[in-house]
Amino acid sequence: MIELYAITDNPCPALPDLAPLTIVPVNGLAAVCMPAGEEDFSADAFWRHEEVVEALMADRDVLPVRYGTRLDDESAVARAVKERRDELAAALDHVRGAVELSVRAMPTETRRAGPPAAEVSSGAEYLRLRTGADASRDHAARALHEPLSGLARASVEGRPRPQELFRAAYLVERDAVESFAAAVARLQKANTGLSILCTGPWPPYSFAER
Amino acid sequence: MRDKVLHAPRELDPFLGELPPLDHALSRRVNADPESLERGLAQLVLTIVELLRQLMERQALRRIDTGGLSAEQEERLGQTFMELDRRMAELREEFGLTEEDLNLDLGPLGRLL
Repeated sequence: MIELYAITDNPCPALPDLAPLTIVPVNGLAAVCMPAGEEDFSADAFWRHEEVVEALMADRDVLPVRYGTRLDDESAVARAVKERRDELAAALDHVRGAVELSVRAMPTETRRAGPPAAEVSSGAEYLRLRTGADASRDHAARALHEPLSGLARASVEGRPRPQELFRAAYLVERDAVESFAAAVARLQKANTGLSILCTGPWPPYSFAER
Repeated sequence: MRDKVLHAPRELDPFLGELPPLDHALSRRVNADPESLERGLAQLVLTIVELLRQLMERQALRRIDTGGLSAEQEERLGQTFMELDRRMAELREEFGLTEEDLNLDLGPLGRLL
């Protein structure tokens, strides 16, 4: 078995030497792979995968491949890439020169997203609280997303987890990462009811599939 | 990991506390041991029920927004959804599931709930 890490341009800079990586070239693209060991999927292996993709990202544009993508051998990789060659090349162009930043927001006072059913007496009140919770969630999300998406080449809003108000990924030019972080800091100052976490730069996982 | 934080809120803990352990996420791919079977089945069934509950609740909220219901009908609907919400919480607790457990990652389609 062979494990895929990323799709990059070919020719490309020398591969990082933190792992015995190989390249499968396909018509202007290169699939970066490594023979997969017998070991099962694990958190450690996940972080090793991430380390490789990030090392690649340091000096080239990458279309990251999700952890756990394995094919039989190099010729299977070549076939798979060839089949979607134009699509992959277009996706690589889309993320060229940019990285992914993640933004998540939670209310500062942690409480359940919906109304605590036990404390509500009437059905009408329950529904009002529900509608109100949805509306304030939408409002908070817009207040963050509108200014931030203006600073990004593309963005994807994720479905917030139960305790969260907002979660999104932004595709940001490499040299605009600092100003994006500064914009998040300003939004944090302006929205004291929210805790905002911004992480990155990540390989553009959220923008690799379209 | 720390060098990945571009902006941290004053309180970082809520973000960390809510992260399920990665090992858990990976092991959920295949989990066929008999002891966890009941929990797995309950998880699937409750996921579907929760999906329907949320859909119906949203539908009801929309109808209320458009003003098509009498006060009495609103009250009855509200009571019903409140009761459903409470029962779901009880069932989740019984099977040791969190709200996030009742969500499925549908790959390219995003998440179920």
